[in-house]
Amino acid sequence: MPAPALRTVELTKRYGRLTAVDRLNLDVQPGEVFGFLGPNGAGKSTTIRLLLGLARPSAGRAEVFGVDAADVARAHLSLAYVPAEVSLWPQLTGAEILHLQARTGPGTDLAYRDELVARFALDLSKPARTYSTGNRQKVALIAAFATRAPLLVLDEPTSGLDPLMEREFRAAVRQARDRGQAVFLSSHQLAEVEAVCDRVAILRAGRLAEVATLGRLRNLHRSEVTISYTGTPPQLSTIPGVDAVEATGDGRLRFTLHGSPGAALQALAGADLTALTVREPSLEEVFLDYYGTDAR
Amino acid sequence: MSAGILSPTAAARPAAAPAPGRAVTGLAVRQVRRGGLIVVVLAAGMTALVTATYAQVMADPAAAGSLAALAGNPAIRILFGAPAGLDTAGGFTVWRVGTFVAVLSAAWSILTTTRITRGEEDAGRWDILLSGRVTVRELLIRHLAAVGSVPVAAGSAITGVLLVAGTAPAGALTHGAGTALLGVFFVAVAALTAQIFPARSAATGTAVAVLGAGLLARMIGDGVTWLRWLHWLSPFGLLTRSGPYVTNNWPPLLILLAAATVVAVLALAAAGRREVRGGLVASGSGRHPRLRMLGSLEAFAVRRALRPFTGWALGIVAYYLLIGTTAVSITGFLKDNPALAGQAAAAGFGGLGSIAGFTSTLFAILAIPAGGFTAVRMVAFVTAETDRRLTLLAAQPVTRIRLIGAEIAATATTAAALVTMAGLATWAGILAVGGDLDLIAALRGVWNPLPIVALSLGAAVFAIGWVPRWTGVIGALPATGGFLLLVLAESVGAPGWVRDASPFAHLAPVPLTNVNWAGSAVMLTVSVLLAVAGAAGYRRRDLRS
Repeated sequence: MPAPALRTVELTKRYGRLTAVDRLNLDVQPGEVFGFLGPNGAGKSTTIRLLLGLARPSAGRAEVFGVDAADVARAHLSLAYVPAEVSLWPQLTGAEILHLQARTGPGTDLAYRDELVARFALDLSKPARTYSTGNRQKVALIAAFATRAPLLVLDEPTSGLDPLMEREFRAAVRQARDRGQAVFLSSHQLAEVEAVCDRVAILRAGRLAEVATLGRLRNLHRSEVTISYTGTPPQLSTIPGVDAVEATGDGRLRFTLHGSPGAALQALAGADLTALTVREPSLEEVFLDYYGTDAR
Repeated sequence: MSAGILSPTAAARPAAAPAPGRAVTGLAVRQVRRGGLIVVVLAAGMTALVTATYAQVMADPAAAGSLAALAGNPAIRILFGAPAGLDTAGGFTVWRVGTFVAVLSAAWSILTTTRITRGEEDAGRWDILLSGRVTVRELLIRHLAAVGSVPVAAGSAITGVLLVAGTAPAGALTHGAGTALLGVFFVAVAALTAQIFPARSAATGTAVAVLGAGLLARMIGDGVTWLRWLHWLSPFGLLTRSGPYVTNNWPPLLILLAAATVVAVLALAAAGRREVRGGLVASGSGRHPRLRMLGSLEAFAVRRALRPFTGWALGIVAYYLLIGTTAVSITGFLKDNPALAGQAAAAGFGGLGSIAGFTSTLFAILAIPAGGFTAVRMVAFVTAETDRRLTLLAAQPVTRIRLIGAEIAATATTAAALVTMAGLATWAGILAVGGDLDLIAALRGVWNPLPIVALSLGAAVFAIGWVPRWTGVIGALPATGGFLLLVLAESVGAPGWVRDASPFAHLAPVPLTNVNWAGSAVMLTVSVLLAVAGAAGYRRRDLRS
């Protein structure tokens, strides 16, 4: 079995008394698009800095294709990185920065890079000091997507992009997956993760709250059921898995359901239903379920 | 995410009445207080030390004789200005440490002003301040007040120290006021360049060029009789003309005050007319890519060093060209004054009458600008790390050792080129006026202080590995600190081991004599050890971003 694109084993980072990342165990398989979700301050960027060897773990270890992340000269041969906050050399133009990144990087497809420049509509002749946040992000994204590195590590890469550019970004992620590149995408934008990721990890206060495929993640969580009926309302409050039963109008009920729906359906069978809708939770609702109001 | 970096004051109780102006002043003060304290303590401390030991030194005939020789040394005269009023403790102190403190205060004022104004604005941190009720102009005024208070405090401390030591009040006041005004003038100059140029490096470079030109104008004014009027165009020349403890002349200081006011008003006017993150000079729009020296980390490190190198080289070449062209007349003067030359020889300054002897003193002090250059370059490397510009490169398949190694190599190479250019300039200057100095001798002379430059580089690398916030201070320690220690030790008649702690004590006067190989070897070994220890620390620590 080939080595995972990314693996962390009991990865821990402490800053004094603060534990930013707490015994994190993750595996990202080659070719998969892996979402890394969490609110601000959950430890996403710290984890990525550990994966890149920019910071050293207090305990545990991280590996990139079986190579210790601390061995950056070898580990970085198989990855490309887009930081959360892109800072560029202010006196260099976009073209010069892309050239520097290509010449010092793990190998770049120059033709594809030119295509990306066109798709992201970036003016390469401007010095970086004149670039907006979004344009700086574009430079880093183009440099990363144009590499042939089998792993792309993207840390909140679209925070400065407009919706059109976000669409290009999603297309570029899919193309990367089609080429067999793994993508590790840290984000707090659920729609983005929902659109491109195969699997998702949810980080909460430095700890892993969940790792699952998108489908399974939704299944783990409540569906919202709305029914309309005539006559006496069905008795649902004692059914296991049913919560938050609420009358939303005359002859209408709404409740949440999780786990097996059998018992609930049996209870409903006795009522005279005129309509039934089941809504899958959005990732946002799943996310709120994890964090509740106490999001940090 | 790196949580936990908020400072405790950020969580202060909710203020009843918001006071944005006071908050801005508080922010500015926080950014200058550490460096400011160092400047004030150095200025007051050096002044106190030299003044306090004056009587004791003058009581010892040997020490007094060697000081007289030092005062007669033309190289020293070019550096410190013409000695006047050496018969009083105050006058002696002004001559011995006045120029040094003035340059220190001016340089600090420039670097700090551009750092906390243009630098903060460049980094985007002013955007959030300016989204509040504060205007650019008010922001600038409050920042300038914070920086400007440091030279004023330094000047007051100097006056206080001189008064406590019992020197003449008029002289103490003139000298303290002059030093304070000079610092304030350069705060204003840096504030103006920071409005003109949309980049911190250009703003700093231009203001430093004004400083260098001012210093050069004073030196020419000191050395060339018919160009003495140049003093009036130079802030340093105006200090000379104020003649503390000699003439106690106030008009030159009033001129300096007026100049500082005009420049500050211009800066504030410019601040009101430009866009945030813009300058009066528009930043470049599109241009063709220049791909040379972007092919590798090492080449890129050299490319980044080239522009600062050009600035430093211009200043150094101008200075050493001046030294070269005046060497013949100055050494001729000593030859015609056998009494002075004999006195100098008795104090161990033999051969000052020869060009080789004269230049050897000046070549030794090359370690100060070259060591300063290495410290500044290594600080730039740390800044690139904290500003996250280095992150993209650090994520490439290169080791940390190679990352810092490229920087060390580029810095060492450009520093060696700097001193070499000084040698060529001196040689060309001497040749132009018909003097006699072998090119090889000139090059041996300028390469002689390279071990001190290496020490500066090693110390800076050590700091980067273990205490990156202190890179500038620690990197400046061997050359600037070492020179200061030597000057102080000689001025106060300190015990031999104090003087020997300075790397300058282990430099032979080359080309007058041969290189002190043993001393150089020790310094180079220490440099290598410091650099290795620093690189090891850098390899294992977290990047700061």
